[in-house]
Formats: sequence, C-alpha cells, structure tokens
Amino acid sequence: MAEIELINVSKSWGNFNAVVNFNLKIKDQEFLVLLGPSGCGKTTTMRMIAGLEDLSNGIIKIGSKIVNDLEPKDRDVSMVFQSYGLYPNMTVYENVRFPLKIRKVPKENHNDLVMKAINMVELQEFLQRKPSELSGGQKQRVALARALVRKPNVFLMDEPLSNLDAKLRVSTRAEIKHLQNKLKVTTIYVTHDQIEAMTLADRVVVMNKGVIQQIGTPKQIYERPINTFVASFIGNPPMNLINGKIKDGQFISDNVNVKKFNFNDGKYILGFRAEDATISISKKGNIKGPIFSIELLGDAIMVTLKIEESFISVKVHNDFVAAIGDVVNISIISSKCQIFDYENGYNLKYK
Amino acid sequence: MKHRTFFWFILPTFLAMFFFITLPIISVVIQSLHTPHENILVTVENCDPFGCKKVTSIDHDATKNLKSENPLGKFVGLDIYFDRGHLALKQVREHWNNSEDISKFLSLITDLPLYKAIFFTLTFTFTVTPIMLILGLLIALGVNSINKKLKGLIIFFSLLPMIVTPLIGSIILFWMIDSRGIVGNLLQILFEDPNLSLKASTSLTWITLIIYGVWHAIPFSFIVFYAGLQTLPKDQIESAQIDGANTFQQTIHIIIPHIMPLITFVTLMQLMDNFRVFEPIIGFNAEAHATSLSWIIFNDLGGETRQLSAAATSSILTIFGIVILLLPVLIKTWKEFDFKK
Repeated sequence: MAEIELINVSKSWGNFNAVVNFNLKIKDQEFLVLLGPSGCGKTTTMRMIAGLEDLSNGIIKIGSKIVNDLEPKDRDVSMVFQSYGLYPNMTVYENVRFPLKIRKVPKENHNDLVMKAINMVELQEFLQRKPSELSGGQKQRVALARALVRKPNVFLMDEPLSNLDAKLRVSTRAEIKHLQNKLKVTTIYVTHDQIEAMTLADRVVVMNKGVIQQIGTPKQIYERPINTFVASFIGNPPMNLINGKIKDGQFISDNVNVKKFNFNDGKYILGFRAEDATISISKKGNIKGPIFSIELLGDAIMVTLKIEESFISVKVHNDFVAAIGDVVNISIISSKCQIFDYENGYNLKYK
Repeated sequence: MKHRTFFWFILPTFLAMFFFITLPIISVVIQSLHTPHENILVTVENCDPFGCKKVTSIDHDATKNLKSENPLGKFVGLDIYFDRGHLALKQVREHWNNSEDISKFLSLITDLPLYKAIFFTLTFTFTVTPIMLILGLLIALGVNSINKKLKGLIIFFSLLPMIVTPLIGSIILFWMIDSRGIVGNLLQILFEDPNLSLKASTSLTWITLIIYGVWHAIPFSFIVFYAGLQTLPKDQIESAQIDGANTFQQTIHIIIPHIMPLITFVTLMQLMDNFRVFEPIIGFNAEAHATSLSWIIFNDLGGETRQLSAAATSSILTIFGIVILLLPVLIKTWKEFDFKK
C-alpha cells in the first residue's frame, strides 16, 4: 500500500517532449486513470513510474521513498501490459508463479498463492496450457493473475483491454474494478478509451501532448471540462462546441442564439452536452438547422446537425420521428452551457 | 502440399543427393571391402655359363590380367576395418589383457592411429562446441546492448575470424606462437623459460588447436544469436524486469528459451563442423601431437602410396561417427514426424 507522488516529472527525447512538468499526488488505494489520445505521454508517464523509462527531470516517490534510481524490480510494482507480456515457454501456472520464484518467496507458499490468484481470475481449467493456446481474454487474465500473485505496492495497467473484443472488454473491465476494490491496492490505469476511464476511475487525469489538462473525478471532468480539449475528448458523443460571439448577454452564431450570459462582449466558444438539449420540429428554439444524420442508440436517438464546420448532436427519446434534411429547432438553457475562451480554450464558467 | 506437387518439388534435390551423395557412399563402402591386388611373382631359373640362379620377378602380364579381371581388387571383407590402422581389434584385445587399470589401457590404445584420431576429434568437438556456444551468446548479448553507432563496427570486427580462410588463419597463428614469433617469445619471457615451446608439448598443442577452433567458430554462433536477439519481444523482457528478474535471470528464463531453436541449430552445425576438424592440424603442423579422422583420410589418400582402401574405410568410420553424434537429433525428428498427416 502506498502513495505515489510525481514532482515536476519530464521526459524528452531530443527535441521531442513526451511529458512536461507532470505534478500529481496519488492517494493510497486510489484508482487513478491516465486518459488521453495516443501519443499524449500517458504510457510514458506510467513507464517512468514502473522504472522502465528514465526521467529527464523531476522526482518520483513511492511511499515516501524516492525511486528515481531504483530498478523496476526494486520498486515493488506489478504491471499488466497491453500485449500481455506472457512468457511463451511457460505454462499458465508457471507464468503466474514466475514473480514468486524470482523473488525467492518460500517454495511451500507458491502453490497456495498461485492458486489464489488463478481462482480470482477464474483460470483453473487452463493451468497447464501454454499462452499460445489461450484466447486474448484468457491471456489478459493470466497477465492479471501474474500481477496479483504477490501483493505489490502499486498496480500499473497499460491499456489492458485494448486488445479484447467489445463484449469481453466490458466483463474484464468489471473484473478489474471488482479486484481493485477487493485488494485495495493503489492502481494506475492508462487508457485512451474515455468510457473505461469513466467507469473505473476514482480520479481521472486527462493528458494532451505531454501536459496534464485536468485532474478530477469522472463526474467533475464530464460536467465541468476545464478546456475545449477535455470537453471534446470526454463523453460519447463529445461536448457540442460552437464558435460565436456574445453581445449584450446573448451568444450569437449562424442560426444560433442563446440568451442570458453574464460575460463581456467578444468572441467565445459555446459548449453543451447532447443530453442537456431538447429538440422540436414546430416549437421555436435556440439553434435551427437541417438534420445531418440520425442514429438509433437503442433507448435514445442521436440527432446530428451541421452548423458551420461543427457537428451538433442532441440525444432524444427513441420515439422521435424525423427524416434527414428536416429542419429542426434545438432548445438549450444557458445554465447548462459552458463558455470557453476563444483564444486559449479555457472554460470561463469555472475559472 | 499435394503429393504431386511435393514430388516435383523434391525431385531435383533427390536426384542430386542420389548422384552426388548416395552413389559415392556406396562406392566407398565397396572400396573399403577390397584391397589392391598384390603383384604376381614368378620365379625363373636363369642359367648362364657361370651356373644357374633363381630369380624372382614380377609377372607383369599376369598382374595386368588379374587387375583387369577384378578392377576392384581382392575382396577382403571387414579385414581392413579390423587392421592396425583402423579398429585394431587384435591390439586392443592385447592392450586390454596387458593393462592393470583403465588409464593404462587408455594410454596404450591412444597410441593406435585411429583411436588417437578419435580421441582428439572428440575432445576437440566437445570442448570447442560448448565454449563457442557460450562465448558466442555472451558476445551477442554484449553487442546487442552497446550504442547503436558502435554496433556496425563491432559486428564487422567480430566477424573477421570467419572471413579468414581457416588454413591461412592457422598458419598465421602458427607463426605467432613459434618460439621466434610474438606470442611464443612473450611466453618464454613471462615464464622465464627459454626452451618453452607450445609446439613441443602435446597438451599445449591441443589447447592451441582448441583455442584456434573456438576463435574461428565464434563469429558463426555470434551472428546467429545476434539475429535471434533482434526478434526478442520487448514486453517479455519488461514484464520480467517488473516481476523482479535481474539481467542474469532474464537471460536464463526469457532470452535463452526464446533463442533455443537457434541454439539447437548452431550446436548441430558446430558438432558436424568440429567433428571434421582438419585445416588447423595442417596449418599448425600438429600431426605429431594431434590427428583427426579427416586428417587420417587425407593422409591415406595423399603421398606416393594412395591407400584408397584405407581411406575408404576411414571415411565409413567417420560417417558412422557423425551418425552416432547426430543420433539424438535424428531420433527427435523421427518422433516428431507424424505419419498420419
């Protein structure tokens, strides 16, 4: 069990800055998700915590100990890799036992510990199989069991679900959440999938181009994105963003008019979530335009309009009837809207 | 592959093997069972005014006739196999009866030419092969971890021993260890013994030959292992690091299993290569201290006498040696072959 602290951590290769001045304190037993598009430095950050990558600058503490110069094996972390990293010449049992063998855990305890880990991920039937004889989901569970088998200070998971199919991803996700809750081990989880981040995390760190954008609970990040990057990255669909200007408390753009904003006149970006707006064919609203596409989601319908260059999506109940090309009105109230700075994209409502 | 396709695919190889391997081996087997005809001698009494003398001379016509009737020579069965130059059954039995313990027996039979050669060949094979496997792997691991800019240069220098013709390489080394050469002279100075000579002592000659053999063979194992290391999955090494393995444990548990097929391959190639050790013996002029099976064949075939039968017999014995050496692999391949498919 341990806290992790990253102080001014940076990593660069030549002129390329992968991670820039990363500051973060991870609480004991916390489930922290590093979220961002590929190439944003999230995996590099995790690899620095694991000790697989040297720091260019800064300090990493695990517990209260500075671990900058410690080998991965001396940091007492365990890691699940995106590509599993199983040992192909060993059976499932031997794979899970490997950390115990290497760390000189007394032999008589091996079987109990291995079987306990195997039972947790329900792999009892596959003990004597080689990794090449397993499916992707089974391999991932072996990797999980291997990470679980010794009680590490920290779990690191590098996109563990990205090689699994959609159905398996949901069940394995639940499994990971359950295990973390049961074992109460500080966990850092890297993903580019915002749904995984939302469902798993106690706190999410959104990164872009090596820089932390926002740190917060999934709810905070969803409801109060700190800038347009976070707003457009989080949520499915992402937040609707419209360029325009405010004049006398009214946000105005082509076919867009939303009242009651308490900002100075100037250029701004308006943002709102698809589920916060309503749509109507006859009733007057704030945004008007022809329907660009209609997608059935099951319980709801996603209606998308194209306003200038940006898409505006609205979620409506699945009994809504309209055809592509029909002109509709979208209604939205200003309290549900975010206003972002036109120049730097910062959210001005929660400044 | 369909049977028909397979047939046409394998046919050229099969024909080449038949004409250039199978037929010659059959011919060698036949030759090893025959010995050249002895000349037919005739004794005639020559009488001249001083009296009569009996003169023995070669009957050229009869000899010629006999040779043309039976060009293979006289059939002697396995006699050549058992003679003193080869398996020397009689001598071995005598030595066995005359020696009190096994070491005496061994020292006696290693005086027999074939056993002497086998003894050196096996010693050479089973010292050079493991040493060069281990050193080759260590060099490959070392080169793999050095700076990229230096790699090309280091690889080039590591391959040099293989570029040098074995005979030339051994002659160069031969002159270096000569008492007038740089190494030989240095050893004399170091050990303060002006009479020290690597060439005079059997064991020192053997060590020199083995060192030369290792030096010459390392590039092969190095380059094969180095190529294998390039395919090593990074995630396996990293998960081993996280699991707590140090460099040595990573090598044992991850790297070696990964390149095991290559290790088997190099071992086989080197067992065969080293079993037919020849050039260094010539290059080092080491015949007096060390001979090999290949050297015996060369020796029989060379020179004035051209003992074809003796050479044929040695060849067959060498083939047997190689078969025994490779037997474990042959059995493994046979077992893995699935007849049902």
